[in-house]
Amino acid sequence: MAQKIAVKVDDLTVAYNYKPVLWDIDLEIPEGVLMAIVGPNGAGKSTLIKSILGILKPIAGSVSIYDKPYEKQRQLVAYVPQKGSVDWDFPTTALDVVMMGTYGSLGWIKRPKQKEKKQALEALEKVGMLPFKNRQISQLSGGQQQRIFLARALVQNASIYFMDEPFQGVDATTEIAIINILKELRKAGKTVIVVHHDLQTVPEYFDWVTFLNVKKIATGPVKDIFNDDNLTKTYGINYKVSIQE
Amino acid sequence: MMSSAQIEIQLIASLAAIACAIPGTFLVLRKMAMISDAISHSILPGIVIGFFITHDLNSPLLILLAAATGIITVILVEYIQKTGLVKEDTAIGLVFPALFSIGVILIAKNANDVHLDVDAVLLGELAFAPFDRFIISDIDLGPKSLWVIGSILIVTIGLLFAFFKELKVSTFDAGLAASLGFSPAIMHYGLMSIASVTTVGAFDAVGAILVVALMIAPAATAYLLTNNLKRMLLYAIGFGVFCAISGYWVAHWLDASIAGSITTMLGIIFLLVYLFAPNKGIIAVLYREKQQRTEVSLLTFLLHLKNHNEEEERHVNHLNEHINWQKVRSKTVLELALKNNMIVVDNNIVSLTEKGNDFTSQAIDYIITNEDAEIEHMKDDFFLFRG
Ligand SMILES: Nc1ncnc2c1ncn2[C@@H]1O[C@H](COP(=O)(O)OP(=O)(O)O)[C@@H](O)[C@H]1O
Ligand SMILES: [Mg+2]
Repeated sequence: MAQKIAVKVDDLTVAYNYKPVLWDIDLEIPEGVLMAIVGPNGAGKSTLIKSILGILKPIAGSVSIYDKPYEKQRQLVAYVPQKGSVDWDFPTTALDVVMMGTYGSLGWIKRPKQKEKKQALEALEKVGMLPFKNRQISQLSGGQQQRIFLARALVQNASIYFMDEPFQGVDATTEIAIINILKELRKAGKTVIVVHHDLQTVPEYFDWVTFLNVKKIATGPVKDIFNDDNLTKTYGINYKVSIQE
Repeated sequence: MMSSAQIEIQLIASLAAIACAIPGTFLVLRKMAMISDAISHSILPGIVIGFFITHDLNSPLLILLAAATGIITVILVEYIQKTGLVKEDTAIGLVFPALFSIGVILIAKNANDVHLDVDAVLLGELAFAPFDRFIISDIDLGPKSLWVIGSILIVTIGLLFAFFKELKVSTFDAGLAASLGFSPAIMHYGLMSIASVTTVGAFDAVGAILVVALMIAPAATAYLLTNNLKRMLLYAIGFGVFCAISGYWVAHWLDASIAGSITTMLGIIFLLVYLFAPNKGIIAVLYREKQQRTEVSLLTFLLHLKNHNEEEERHVNHLNEHINWQKVRSKTVLELALKNNMIVVDNNIVSLTEKGNDFTSQAIDYIITNEDAEIEHMKDDFFLFRG
């Protein structure tokens, strides 16, 4: 394949307290795919993303973003953590959270100015949250909080987007709104990697998929590898999904 | 007229309050209030060893040594926690008594050489702070503690201005901060260092217990009053200074311990805000819950009207039987519906107005689909749709 590789993971092993939760992962994610990472709870999906982003130090292996270490390519990457990983009672507004997406390009010490604020407002507009810009974040519904996180990633204006369960606890409208934005990103040539739970929607939303359960089970185009065999290997039980064509 | 000693005491207490409120705000937001307690106790061995070396409780070397003990506490707590055998508060409970008792033993063993007692360290004595002067070639520059706390405060404010956005993002979302290249570990240990240095710098004048109270209480109080981080910092500083000064005068009138009075003021202010804060206070929360119950009842009532055209089902006197409510409750609900022009009562027969009809459909739609945007205008009238 002549396609460029956006993310490359080599022999990655990650452990918490010496207990490995990811074993010897090799993974190549081609540029421009919209990829789902699927696997049961505790499979290490979040851990994989955090290791790629340098948030966790692996005990073995390496990661590269467009052939360079992550530390050199931060500007190319945006990250949406799992919603439950932050305290939504934190004293701040929707706009302020979205502004945090600009902090990376600002670097240390420099403060966001009008330009950054304008970018944040545009991103809020894009996810349909402009009317809520001054609302305290605990006063937002689950779906709105997820949209805020998406807006924050959009503000980073990255080439590669990592999203940890962006559909968790959102209503149907928000889910459609989010997936449409992700598809737009792919159309613009971006690479989007999404931890996803609802197996039914994988063929409809994504073109690429990685099966993960401590080890990598399979990775590739949805149409080739999204089948009962891989699902059974990943989830352990006999899995049957009817894939609508 | 206030004497200059009185002014100096209030100045020292106020600067200590500001210096404590700044790291305190972030400790409270990081849910690390306990760790400041741990630091304040476990710096004791650092202070004792520093005192052996420097023989001066205000020496910068002593402050750094003791602050290092504070950092060691944090590292030990994290190390024990990482083994996964115990939770964080247990780890804190293991570390700080151990270090504290080492300090106590060191003092006891060297009681003859060290003019330092545990009470003085824990409680401090603000009243004596003006007596220890900073004198350079016969020029009196004021109390030493004022200089110590003032210097720490200037450094703290400088760091706060420089790293405000980094502190904010790493406190709110450590994962994002790490991915952006703002190491949460650096922010964490930076904050812990400031907390340790402030604790040590302030303990001689105000005592370890008041240091902990000044770090946690004003920030916790401010947290209940605002949804804005900058304002939370300002409120915390305001409460701290207010309690420092009012506590001083309470002590003055009652002839009581200054540190004790300031701590009491902090407690009283927190309690008042905890009860009466407009949104997060206990009374507001209880009131909101009651409102929500009433509104759920209202909706049930409106739905009943919508579903029943029979007059007997809509007769004021029969509502109780049909919806199975107590009199008081149906009266409240009836009044609420009337006040909002959602029903009309004609000959004791209740019917929905157009507004009531629309409201009911919208509300039911909302509850079923949870599409929030469309009912924005309803949120202001009804608690039910908030949060
Ligand atoms: N901070 C942590 N400390 C210890 N174990 C952890 C930590 N985070 C996750 N784990 C464990 O690592 C495994 C993988 O977790 P995670 O990557 O969150 O899974 P997933 O996102 O696929 O549900 C789980 O067994 C989980 O319990
Ligand atoms: Mg996860």
